Order: sequence, then C-alpha cells, then structure tokens
Amino acid sequence: MKEKIRFLITNLLSTILLVFAIQFFVQSQTNAPEQYKVCAACHTIGEGKLIGPDLKGITEKRDEAWLIDFIRSSQTMIKNGDEEAVKLFDEYKIPMPDNKMTDEEIKEILTFIRNSSKEPVLADKTESQSVVPASSTSETVLEDFMPYQLAKSRLRLNIKFLISILLILLMLIDLIFTRFIKFRIIHIVIILVALTLGVQVVVAKAIGLGRQEGYEPDQPIKFSHKVHVTGNKIDCKYCHSTVEESRYAGIPSTSVCLNCHHVVREGQHTGTTEINKIYEAFESQKPIEWVKVHNLPDHVFFSHAQHVAVGKVDCNHCHGEVENMDRIRQVNSLSMGWCINCHRNTEVQFKSNEYYTSFMKLHDDIKSGKISKVTVDQVGGNNCQACHN
Amino acid sequence: MIFKTYFSNRITFKALAAAAFILIVLSSCDRDRNNPGYAYFPDMAYSEAYEPYSVNPFFKDGKSMQDPAIGSIPRGHIPYQYPKTYEGQVQAGIDLINPLLKNEANLSRGKDGYEIFCAVCHGEQGKGDGELYTSKKFPVQPTSLVSDRIVNKPEGEIFHIITMGSLSNLMGAHGSQIKVEDRWKIILYMRNNFSEKVN
Repeated sequence: MKEKIRFLITNLLSTILLVFAIQFFVQSQTNAPEQYKVCAACHTIGEGKLIGPDLKGITEKRDEAWLIDFIRSSQTMIKNGDEEAVKLFDEYKIPMPDNKMTDEEIKEILTFIRNSSKEPVLADKTESQSVVPASSTSETVLEDFMPYQLAKSRLRLNIKFLISILLILLMLIDLIFTRFIKFRIIHIVIILVALTLGVQVVVAKAIGLGRQEGYEPDQPIKFSHKVHVTGNKIDCKYCHSTVEESRYAGIPSTSVCLNCHHVVREGQHTGTTEINKIYEAFESQKPIEWVKVHNLPDHVFFSHAQHVAVGKVDCNHCHGEVENMDRIRQVNSLSMGWCINCHRNTEVQFKSNEYYTSFMKLHDDIKSGKISKVTVDQVGGNNCQACHN
Repeated sequence: MIFKTYFSNRITFKALAAAAFILIVLSSCDRDRNNPGYAYFPDMAYSEAYEPYSVNPFFKDGKSMQDPAIGSIPRGHIPYQYPKTYEGQVQAGIDLINPLLKNEANLSRGKDGYEIFCAVCHGEQGKGDGELYTSKKFPVQPTSLVSDRIVNKPEGEIFHIITMGSLSNLMGAHGSQIKVEDRWKIILYMRNNFSEKVN
C-alpha cells in the first residue's frame, strides 16, 4: 500500500516537472515581440487574409532588405514606384501605416514570423497558457479594491437592536419569574432605555426602506469604470451617448465596446477572461445582461436629457466618483428629499441655454433688480407632475 | 456535565434559545451589496410594464427593446447608402457636402464632439497622439488628422469614415453614437482648427 502511494507521488511530481519544462521551452521559443502587436491588428500568420495579406512564409518569398524598407514606410516605396509595392497597394487599397522601428526590432519581428510560419500551432498554445496567471491574480485584486463600510454600519444597527430586545426580555423574565433584582423601578428604567434604543433602530431601518444607497451588485462582466475613465481618459458620453437626448443615459451596445476591444484583447487586470465575454456576446447576438444599479420607483419620472443637456448637471453630481469605482455603487439615496433639496439649491443657468427663452419674465426681473437669483422650484422644479406622471 | 450545571435553570436556557433565534432572524434581514433592499409600496415601485432594457418573455430574443421592422425608415431620416468599401468611401467623398455653416455655435459643438469621441485616439490636436496610444494601451498609432493624406481627403470621405468606420477596421463605426449633424460639426472643427496650422 505504502509503495503504491510513493509510486503515485513520484509519478505525479515528475509529470508536473515535465509540463513546466515543456512550457518554459515553448514560451522561450515563440514569444511574440512587443512590436508584433501592431502587425497583428491587420495580419495573421497562417490564418488567412485579414486587412493586409497573410504573413506566412513572407520571409522566404521576399528579400529581407525589401521587407525592412516596406515595414518602415510603405508609402515612400509606392511613391518611388517600387513595382511590388504598387502591386500590393492596388490589391489591398489600404496603405500600411509607417513604423518607426530600428533594423534590430524589425529583424526580431521577421524572425518571429519565420518561426511561427513553420509551426503555427505552437504560437496558439503559448497564448492560451500565458493568459491563465494574469486573470487569476487580477480577480483577487478587484475584490479587495472597495472598502465596504456601509455593511459594517448596518451590522452595528442590528446588534444595537438585538441588545435592546435582549435587555427587555431579560428584565421581563426577571420581573415575572426569577426576581434577582429587588426593586421594580430598575426593571422599568432599563426596559424604557432599551425600548428607545429599539425604536431608534426601527426608525432608521424604516427610512432606509425603498432606498438603495450602497447597492453594488456584481455585473456579468467585471467592467471597471476606473480603468476606462481615469486610466484611459474616455469621456462618459463616448459610451453613454444618448444622455443628452433621452430619458436614459444608454447602455452601450457590444459594438461600441468593440470599437476599441477588437484590437485591445487583453485587459490590465483581468487578462482576456472578461474581454472574451464581449466577443461571445457579439458572436451569439445575445445581449449582456447588465444589472441596473440606480433604480427609481415606477411612479417617478426622471429624464437624463433634462438634467444633463438643459440643466448642465455633471454626472458626478448624482452618481458620485464613478471614475474611481471598479464596480458601480450607488452613493446617493435618490430619495425624494434628496431630489428636492438639490432643486431648492441649484441655480438655473440661463446664459447660453436656449431652453429657457420662455422664462423671459424672470430674466427681466433679474435685470431690473427685483430678484437676485432664480432657483429650480421657481421654474417648475417642485411641481408634482415634473416627477410623478 | 458542564452543560447541565450551566443550564440547570430552564428559564435561562429558554431565554438564550430565544435570543439565538432572534439573532438568526435579524442577521438574515441584513442587506448585502448585491441586494437592492425592500420598497414601501412594491406595486408602485416596480413597473408592471416592461422597461426598455428589461428581459421580455414575449419575444423570441428576450429583449423588450425590439429592432424596428426590416426596411422601416424613421421620419426625417435618410438611410445611409454608401457601403463600407473603397469604392463606397470614394463615392461618399464625391456626393456628400457639409451642409452646415462655419459659425461659432457649430464649431464649439464640434469641439465638444471631437473631444468626446475622437481625441482619445487622435489626440487633442489631431496628431494621432491620443491618450490610448501614448499610454501604449492601443498598440497601433491612430491616423494623424493633420497629415497630407487626410487633409486632402474630401469632407464627405471623412464623414463616411466616422459613420462606417475605417477600411482597415482599426477605427470602428461611430454612426450609432454621433448624430449626423454632430458628425458634420466635428468635421467643421477638424478642418477649421487643425489643418491650417500645418499648411
């Protein structure tokens, strides 16, 4: 029995070692140079024509010096009337962009193409293997990002409630059955204190009903606004492009994601696992089921167009610092009181805002000095039907 | 034995059991971040009608927001008729003319549009040095909008590229994100503010 186990363990260890050795060997052989990424946007090696021709066997077909010139600036070669270059341009019609690379860098790429042309299968293998570690580390990083204080405060509330109930129960039991404490007044005082504590908690909980502050659901794709907005400097309206004309800011379709992600195929935190979900959704034509975070009750009417295009309210004003969130979290209560408070304090921007030409009277009053400012509730912001319709 | 001596008093044991029960009930009410919580009047809070982005069991593809019937044309909308080919692009360049005037309002709207949709890749001044390329996240250098090749292109061809995407597919189609008018305004801004500096 013992020998069997020993045999199994040694066998296992040796296979693991072997696998690692093979991996190392394979990776060191056909690691794509950094610059090849640029080529891969338009070319494949042995997988057919893309935007430019297939590069399989190109190093045998053409002279190395010619290739170096062409990679560096195909346009100058066409201008100078190089026969091969002109023929290629006529066939593909899209000029290959110039590349500022040294001879060594280009030679490195050419060696990679030469090696990959021989055994294209190997290149595939390394790609799938190198992905795994990147994604596994990044998941833990993402989970750790957000401090979650709200849950803590809620827990404290629950403990407070529990203690108050316990106190009341203990006092009642003592009062009726055991009678450890002799004076009844002590029971009554403790019960009263506990009752106020309990009621406080109940009130706090009741106010929280219907409010989703702190709601931070998991999304089908670990999309990070922090990476896209702070890291890549992409404007909110690039993806949420209907925000100025529609009630809804708009959830971008998968084709908008693909504007960048058909080239950018690997994320800095999650590798290819999350980005691959976009391709799956696009190919299967199944929409990604994002979870809506900011929900308003059905009886409330809210229009993004009114607030963003006319009111010129910044996105952050209601949604908080989205640019620093990895996972979207609701930071404001979106309660009626919260809306009304803002309507009371926000001054209307009349200047260069065509929407308000119908409010000439207010303009004139300001000009003549009758009033010093105009707040939203004066232009209908507190009408019931502005929100409830 | 210890258990017996501790809980010989049956009443204390009952009280403890009750406390444990309450603890379990309360902690199960606690909201976690995946739970939106409860509403006062659920019948008024949750829509009976299907919301635009909600799942809809009545349609085969499960979407509430259905595509318009094939071939339908929205009022006041002219369907785009140039295919995404080299010939289509050249033809668009011949046919399409910017209908907008070069005035301050159009230019400033064009600037906003350019900064939202174009500058990330093509750079603030159109030199092809946007944030996505300089930070090495997008591996290919975006086309410089001040290069001779682009400056000499007719405006219609640029409109075609914004609408359908570039022939190399490196730039995606932005027709769904930018309105027709705004596309022309962006082109106005591009032509007015960039090319003069180069020439």
